[in-house]
Amino acid sequence: MKETVSIAVSALVSSVTLVSFVILAPERSGAVVAASPGTIRGRVELRRVVRPMERRPGVADLGTAVGRDLPNLLRSVVYLESAPRGAFETSEGGHAVMDQRNETFVPHVLAITTGTTVDFPNSDQRYHNVFSLSKTKAFDLGRYAAGHSRPVMFDRPGIVRVFCDIHSHMNAFILVFSHPFFGLTDDEGRYRIENVPSGTYGVIAWNEGTSSEARPVTVPASGVAELDFTLR
Amino acid sequence: MTVRSTAPWLAWLLVICSATIAGAQTLPSEPIALAGGHVTLSGDASATYGSDDPGFFDYTDYQHSALRLLRLDLTAAFKAGPHFTLLGEIRSENLDSVRPYALYLRIRPWAARDFDIQIGRIPPTFGAFARRTYANDNPLIGYPLAYQYLTSIRPDALPASADELLRKRSLGWLVRYSVGDVNPDIGVPLVSAFRWDTGVQAHATVGIVSTTASLTTGTLSNPRFTDDNSGRQFAARVEVRPVVGLVAGTSFARGPFVGQSAARAAIGDGRGTDFTQAAWGGDLEYSRDYYLLRFETVVSGWRLPIIEAPALPERLGAVSVSLEGRYRLRPGLYAAARFDHLGFSDIVGTRETAPWDAPVTRFEIGAGYSIQRNLLLKLSYQHNDRDGGVLLRMAHLTSVQLGFWF
Repeated sequence: MKETVSIAVSALVSSVTLVSFVILAPERSGAVVAASPGTIRGRVELRRVVRPMERRPGVADLGTAVGRDLPNLLRSVVYLESAPRGAFETSEGGHAVMDQRNETFVPHVLAITTGTTVDFPNSDQRYHNVFSLSKTKAFDLGRYAAGHSRPVMFDRPGIVRVFCDIHSHMNAFILVFSHPFFGLTDDEGRYRIENVPSGTYGVIAWNEGTSSEARPVTVPASGVAELDFTLR
Repeated sequence: MTVRSTAPWLAWLLVICSATIAGAQTLPSEPIALAGGHVTLSGDASATYGSDDPGFFDYTDYQHSALRLLRLDLTAAFKAGPHFTLLGEIRSENLDSVRPYALYLRIRPWAARDFDIQIGRIPPTFGAFARRTYANDNPLIGYPLAYQYLTSIRPDALPASADELLRKRSLGWLVRYSVGDVNPDIGVPLVSAFRWDTGVQAHATVGIVSTTASLTTGTLSNPRFTDDNSGRQFAARVEVRPVVGLVAGTSFARGPFVGQSAARAAIGDGRGTDFTQAAWGGDLEYSRDYYLLRFETVVSGWRLPIIEAPALPERLGAVSVSLEGRYRLRPGLYAAARFDHLGFSDIVGTRETAPWDAPVTRFEIGAGYSIQRNLLLKLSYQHNDRDGGVLLRMAHLTSVQLGFWF
């Protein structure tokens, strides 16, 4: 219970942090922009046990529920707390996909820029009903069958919690940034943020609603800055 | 416990509202997993406050008004490997004593096959609604009449004649008969959605067809933990899902209804299992995009021993029809409506021929708003109309419900 509560509180804190940073970033950014961009790379180590959301006990069910895939909860997002000047002008809307497969959203975490349209195809032979009540983007896609897809355009920065109205254990995160300086970790926890103008920035790591303190890093022109995180 | 005072209920609702809204982010939002995921706990809480119901249209077989109800549920599942799961649910209504609503062992003999056996206090085989009575599964606040409305018959007390039964029309809330237990008590609904029966159940799915069969201690109207008539109810259900979004089901149940002591008081020993309840049900659900439609009908018949003229026909019949719809207007907000009718077969008394209980028609309309994903506020308006009986014949009832689940 304590863990659930602390995760919920962390999620709230990190949401507020992320939303405020992306909205206020243009005014706050004091970083020096150089001509040759560099790279921030490193590793996020997770020292906490995060379990996938369980099914609610199906006491009223006449039999065992069908099997499902488990989401990959090990992927984290690392992003600049404050982006360099001019970063917001280059943001272009693209397309991303969040599939619904074996009662799991795939991927479990998406990181996108504002203006991106996310398609939600249904790859299961049963209904899903994708929705979010997040302040950043509230939407409800209704029920649609396998082979069909519905899009949502995310036009504001923030964290969007995505759920299925039919299967309460299905959930996912979409992190919407108003700049392109973020990266997702791979299966080993490694991340890489490319094309960062040289300068000093605050960098934050986020995983399943928990985020680190902003840590300073100086990116050299055409160089690489190393920064590791530990999330507890 | 019948709660008639409004003040305590308003206080309850206010406390719950303030606590949930202020602390929404600190309340659990997902099931609690323990012992490495072997134990899962979830809960439901709903507080409902509505109009006074002097016509007893919305009273349930726990003698509570469904429109003035504080319901707390705690559900647990213990997974002991791929073949065995122990499931249970305890429930308290209006802070009365905690009751075991469900407690059964689910056995999956072959992990790869969709076949389960369930033993204990098991979920209802019959019909569709009884398995979705939780606040977040029911788009409205009231329940379909077939699953909630208390008819005037009882398993432990019997009318001596058709005339006595006709005199009790509409009195299912508290009815007294001259044979069997002579103390006043509640009548039974066609199918109880508020208690589960005890027995063994088998369920299998092959392709688009699911079948379920069970053998239990009680009957649809009177599910029991301990037997009262040495008889068993057989129930079966077949469900077909021909296309995504469409579910069609049909159910059947038959079992001894009248308790042994009441049957003995009426006709002596030896025929305690002759007086049965037999029921057939049909249900249909279709959903697509933002709407959901449900139709359900229940046809039930009871055989009662009658000791004086005028006697009863072979069976007392009852038919219910329910049509329900829900439409999502925007994220987190929906509108819903349900039409319900419950009719009864005619019986012949000395002075009149009339339905043995007063037919009831109900129309309910409402809306639900998700304050957060697992915190739902519902409002509803009900129009109830009863054709006969001695109680209030018409009632306009409004109610509000706050439901939380994790």
